[in-house]
Amino acid sequence: MEEDGSNSNRRMSSRTRKVASKMVAALASSDNRTQAALARLDALENDNAGFEVPDPNIDDDDASLDDDDQGFMQRKQSKGTKRKTRQAKALEARKAPRTFLELLHDANLESLPPHVPSYWKAAVGPPSSTARRHFCTVCGFSANYTCVRCGMRFCSNRCQNVHNDTRCLKFVA
Amino acid sequence: MSTTTQVVVLDNGGGLIKAGFGGERDPSAILPNCLHKPLASKKWLHPNPLNTPASAEQDLTSASVRRPMDRGYLINPDLQREIWSHLFTSILRINPSQSSLLLTEPLFSLPSIQHSLDELVFEDFNFTSLYVADSPSLVHLYETSRSPNGLLSKAQCSLVVDCGFSFTHASPVFQNFTLNYAVKRIDLGGKALTNYLKELISFRSVNVMDETFIIDDVKENLCFVSVDVPRHLNIARKSGKENLLRCTYVLPDGVSHTKGFVKYPEQANRYLSDGKEMKEDVDDHEEILQQQHENNRQKVDLTKNEFDLTNERFLVPEMIFRPADLGMNQAGLPDCIVRAVNACHPHLHPVLYESIILTGGSTLFPHFAERLEKELRPLVPDDYDVKITTQEDPLLGVWRGGSLLASSPDFDSMCVTKAEYEELGSARCRKRFFH
Repeated sequence: MEEDGSNSNRRMSSRTRKVASKMVAALASSDNRTQAALARLDALENDNAGFEVPDPNIDDDDASLDDDDQGFMQRKQSKGTKRKTRQAKALEARKAPRTFLELLHDANLESLPPHVPSYWKAAVGPPSSTARRHFCTVCGFSANYTCVRCGMRFCSNRCQNVHNDTRCLKFVA
Repeated sequence: MSTTTQVVVLDNGGGLIKAGFGGERDPSAILPNCLHKPLASKKWLHPNPLNTPASAEQDLTSASVRRPMDRGYLINPDLQREIWSHLFTSILRINPSQSSLLLTEPLFSLPSIQHSLDELVFEDFNFTSLYVADSPSLVHLYETSRSPNGLLSKAQCSLVVDCGFSFTHASPVFQNFTLNYAVKRIDLGGKALTNYLKELISFRSVNVMDETFIIDDVKENLCFVSVDVPRHLNIARKSGKENLLRCTYVLPDGVSHTKGFVKYPEQANRYLSDGKEMKEDVDDHEEILQQQHENNRQKVDLTKNEFDLTNERFLVPEMIFRPADLGMNQAGLPDCIVRAVNACHPHLHPVLYESIILTGGSTLFPHFAERLEKELRPLVPDDYDVKITTQEDPLLGVWRGGSLLASSPDFDSMCVTKAEYEELGSARCRKRFFH
């Protein structure tokens, strides 16, 4: 019982969780629309279109290792060579450039005393007026209507049709 | 240290590297801080420096990019080393082990990033000494030197608004030191604007999601800041001749031209004319345009690779003033400035408002300063003056300040030498730079 607990603890701590702060916010919100909006904002900082760096850290087969010791030992021996490659892969992953948000997370700026200026404290903060102008996602003019299915904006019947045909629900899956 | 060593001044921006020698007026090279890979190539190539004949010939259609900086901070030292060694050996032709380096660094750089930067400078390139400067103080230094009798030099303080490639900072500078507790940042810069424009064009006309360099050019040539958004929206809505904002951009076809261009350059500036008084002029223009149109008609039908821009031209830079419209939970530039000033000592407020300096590539949008003043004025107490100065060359302002600092007599004593670095390590040496 206790061993199980400690095992699971160890497993939890050994797994490095690298999640960008915006993604944390997105994951915390149950709202698909907020998630989509945050993902789109994040995409504005991409160098190239589309998904850039496939995450090298997706490696979940450690989870099933300690079911029973014998099988574990056997598998460990038989997989001797594979282990090596995985280690090499981990090394490679460590060498691979990390995004700024990961570095920021590692720097642990939250632990600084409150009077020390830091990256987080320099952010300008929320706008003073909450009024947000909405522009039609199709033609760019001010939009008075919201799509009931995905929440994007449009200004007229014509734009609504274009929206429905081309990108409705495209970002909110 | 001998005075014969040259000082290399390096403004290592997220978008462009400005590099040259201390004491000179202009940098020797302005180089995109990236590697790119055109479709036809299998290798990552070094981009040619700007404003050289070679850069005009380069075909950047559909090139993918690798940048050593992410959100303004160095994340890939290996890539940066590659770019720097190309810069030092083939462009500047210097020997780092006989020169010292003045390097700019973004505000609030993380210790781990500073560490890797020091390693790069001293261990990979063997510079004899290093000085790390922050860009607002260099801009302040340059501007004070330009007007020795102005308010800036008398009060010794200014508010530097640096709207660059990765982000926008409003930083109060007092006696050549940046007041880092008062600095405010908006996470929006030229890169995000280009990507936003890419997204808009791709959805509305042609898919250009892979054309970073071309859309950069579109943004630089066609976008402007609107002083009166509702009025410009109305104009953009009109059809035909009345629409002073519509403008056509021709994408490269890879055969006759490898660079995109604005189809009718005079059409691009029509928004400057005010609707009513320019009516007749507009008609004249239209006639000319019509003629040109006739001439070009065949060309147009053959090559479909062009697109029209109307309201995108001013709604894209608009995001710096109202990031909330994009869905960001951040205040716009005018609010940002007010918050930065309010974080300072009240005695500084009137002087800061009177000495706002705009720098950085994204302030090159036409009417940027005008719009900023219009929005800032209502937020500032009535008895304070608001004065916004645009640098004469916003791209180079930081570099020129660095060049000035590098040629000052005290420069050698401010540097950290390689010997000191080896003895004390990165963290201790950094304390000398006070930021």
